[in-house]
Amino acid sequence: MSHKVQSMVFWGVLITFLAWDWMSSPTVDLRKEPSWVAAGSGQATQGAHCSTPSK
Amino acid sequence: MKRIVWWLPVFALSAFLLLEVAVRQALLLLIGVGLGVVLAQARFGFTTGWRLLLERRDPQGVAAQLLLLGLASAAAMPLLASFGELHAALGAPGLAMLLGAFVFGLAMQLADGCGSGTLYKAGLGISYNLLVFPLFALGSFVGSLHLPFWNGWGQMQAVGLVDEFGVSGALLLTAVGLLLMALGVRYWVGPGKVWWHRRWVWGAVGLAFFATLNLLVAGQPWGVVYGFGLWAGKVFAGLGLWDPSTSVFWSQPAHAQRLSETAFLDVTTITNLGILWGAFWVSLRHRSEAPVKLTTRQMWVGVLAGFVLGYSSRLALGCNVGAMLSGISTGSLHGWLWVPMAFAGSVVGVRWRRSLFESSPDSGLVQGART
Repeated sequence: MSHKVQSMVFWGVLITFLAWDWMSSPTVDLRKEPSWVAAGSGQATQGAHCSTPSK
Repeated sequence: MKRIVWWLPVFALSAFLLLEVAVRQALLLLIGVGLGVVLAQARFGFTTGWRLLLERRDPQGVAAQLLLLGLASAAAMPLLASFGELHAALGAPGLAMLLGAFVFGLAMQLADGCGSGTLYKAGLGISYNLLVFPLFALGSFVGSLHLPFWNGWGQMQAVGLVDEFGVSGALLLTAVGLLLMALGVRYWVGPGKVWWHRRWVWGAVGLAFFATLNLLVAGQPWGVVYGFGLWAGKVFAGLGLWDPSTSVFWSQPAHAQRLSETAFLDVTTITNLGILWGAFWVSLRHRSEAPVKLTTRQMWVGVLAGFVLGYSSRLALGCNVGAMLSGISTGSLHGWLWVPMAFAGSVVGVRWRRSLFESSPDSGLVQGART
């Protein structure tokens, strides 16, 4: 398989996954949108990180 | 086709995120692209830097990494103290974390890349890393399922240097730690070595800049591995092969929420996509590079190493980015414990790699080593 085909397959699978995920997930509630920048927003961040504690 | 045209998909996705998801996610995508461009353009490899130090006593890659750690710490620690909304990458050290870091350091030499390395090399279209990538995601997911078992081996509370000693104390301790590492490297390589490679120096500056932006905008440090496991978890749950409620890890509110909502709301997913695209854009300049045909043995090693890399990254509470860079720069003790364990693993990994691959003249790994 050539480089080009390998890359096309990779991107094709990735884009398909993202599209499928978007279609099958609940609609994003834009009214709950976080501030543009976390610093100085006064809002607690809700993201997850690889160092996030696990019980 | 001019490379500028290839920015259109990024702008389109950015506009989509802006309109349908969140402005913050659109900004993070652009930050991710910046990280990808810097990683790929500078060929900034944590794995390669360690290997050069071990095999050739060449300090240039590690010197750039120490510079990156210093710059990122100098930026992140005062920000953490100034803005209560920002989180440090505080991992709880434990036996599983130490073992995971050792295995991760070993596997990253065989997989020819850590978390960020696998991402940007996949974006560049390097065959070996395209193979490693999905196995990394699978391993990261399976590792997350087994985390409660491994953490049962014993775990202490997370320790944050900024919380314990204040900004000045944390910066001083970090500077002393980095200086000791530099002295150790100097002792190992001996006198008369060239320490600075221009490409890696500006790579370190660029990565520190974008990692700081990531912290400011996302409220959490740069991470890679979490997004991989999340993607695999979504696939398994979506196909009905796995019930997330059976997992202790994925039942926790923060992780369950990530799983149930679109991946476009996940910070690490967005920056990972940006890194992939940034690297892809850089690859358009290097199309003349000859494609590398993988041998069967290389493919099997890639499959196994990719899985082990992902699995161990969960035990280790991150990769070179999430645990080492983000951990140390935000003052987490686990980052300092991660480095010696992962480096010890790399000592073994480099030897295995040599015996497995150096005899192959057409090795994708050898190509990777030159990048």
